[in-house]
Amino acid sequence: MTNFVERSSDWFERYLVPPLGGLASSVYLQAIRDAFIIFTLPLIIAGSVFLVLANPPVPALAALIAPYQTDILVPYQLSFGLMAVFLAFGVAYSLAQYRRTEPVQPGILAMVLFLVASMPVRDLNTLQLGAILPYLGGQGLLVAILIGILTTEVMRWFRGSRFTIRLPKSVPRNVTRAFEALVPTLLLISLVWGVEWFVSSFTYVDGNTTQQMTIPFLFMQVFKPLVAVQDSYPAALLEIVLMMLLWSVGIHGMNVVTAIAAPFWFSILASNAASAHPTGIVTEPFFHIFAHLGGSGATWPLVIYMLRSRSAQLRTVGKVALGPAIFNINEPVTFGVPMVLNPIMMIPFVMAPVTIVTINYICFATGLVHVPVVLQPFTVPVGISGFVATGGDIRGSLLQFFDLGVSALIYYPFFKAWERILVAREEAASAAEEKETPAQAQAVVR
Amino acid sequence: MIRVLIVCSWGMSTSLLVDSMLEAAQKRGYELFVEALSAGEYAARVEECDVVLIAPQIRHLRKSIEKLAVATGKPVALIEPFHYATMNGEAVLEQVLRLFASAQEGTTRP
Repeated sequence: MTNFVERSSDWFERYLVPPLGGLASSVYLQAIRDAFIIFTLPLIIAGSVFLVLANPPVPALAALIAPYQTDILVPYQLSFGLMAVFLAFGVAYSLAQYRRTEPVQPGILAMVLFLVASMPVRDLNTLQLGAILPYLGGQGLLVAILIGILTTEVMRWFRGSRFTIRLPKSVPRNVTRAFEALVPTLLLISLVWGVEWFVSSFTYVDGNTTQQMTIPFLFMQVFKPLVAVQDSYPAALLEIVLMMLLWSVGIHGMNVVTAIAAPFWFSILASNAASAHPTGIVTEPFFHIFAHLGGSGATWPLVIYMLRSRSAQLRTVGKVALGPAIFNINEPVTFGVPMVLNPIMMIPFVMAPVTIVTINYICFATGLVHVPVVLQPFTVPVGISGFVATGGDIRGSLLQFFDLGVSALIYYPFFKAWERILVAREEAASAAEEKETPAQAQAVVR
Repeated sequence: MIRVLIVCSWGMSTSLLVDSMLEAAQKRGYELFVEALSAGEYAARVEECDVVLIAPQIRHLRKSIEKLAVATGKPVALIEPFHYATMNGEAVLEQVLRLFASAQEGTTRP
């Protein structure tokens, strides 16, 4: 049995790690992921606080707040609501870090370019903020990412090329840098403005007003079907399987999938937040809050089993893993049990979250539990996070506890099988040690 | 003073290891500075450190991280997954000291 474990783990290492690792090491995906986590997540979370304040779960409080609701929403609209503006900065900045070039200049320029792309070319004095606001937030994420990548790559190309303004060596470096950036800055602004001018010569009818088109509007029309496809059970299943396969070979799965799916998750979350009757299901909290209970793979129950295990290794890991598990961190479990490259534990490691995602999707789709509307740090403990994520639906917490029970059932037989192998190994090792001790003592003497 | 950068993904779990490493260093009287950061931040700030460590969950980025470390003359190694899992600060500190010493001698390069 031990032999089988080692052989299959070799096989995984050889055939599963390279393709999955290749996907995960794309510089663009990493930059997008960093941009979401470092630059926009804190703003979305802070904005969500005002969203909750404006929509309290208690009816009596809601009635009290109703007259001030739009006022309380202002900080939300200017943080969460403008996330695409900051994402453009973040993507350009993070990508520049990976490229090892100066990051602030492309960051600022990307933000400007995104604004140019989002405003119809016209007299801006008469522009209504409300008409473009959605496209500066959830509806503008894809354009923000593309502009962020474009800005950094173009600026980097110019820095190395002969189409840049050169100054004598005696000029201070900071002055040179500003001049170096001038050519690509003017070129990019003109390019985006030119395209936007063309796009905004077309109009569309929104309710009973006629609006000029913008680049983000056009993009959303093209990608609308894709956003809808992403918000479906098959897509959710694909995403969770990919996440857990990546984790099964030791790669941070949530990270990789976040980089690809985040524009969709957050665009759906933003429409949920803005709607009186939200229906979007497959969002970031759907995974982080409702699937990864105790960490990726829903390993909370496994930690409890480990605490009382007959295997010394599992007991040791269990003790270390308990504290982090409360905050949904489970690297001790992943690398200590280990789950990684372990043909036995990989099965429940994929099956438990897949089953949970299926149950949750049904609960959200049938309206049994309110869909997630609030984003919070993934470290909020299970039980509290389900209540908060659903905008104050206690059934959200109950669903989390039910899922924990499901996970406990799925993990149990595999845990027992793995424990048996480890106990056998530990017994063999201690027996061998006893035998070897005299030999070692001799070696020392010599 | 030994400055260590640990390249990881969210920095959440690694911060636990950082605390444990600092505790181990204090016990043994070493002055240690440890920071956990993403691969992008690492690329921007590799010059600021003496030793580079890679967290096991971003093992797939190992090649590019090592390439940059070698180019800038920094010793680099992957943290043993089981040490990472059990947040064994002492073992990882030991690894840091070995890497630091080898770089000082200039004998071994990864």
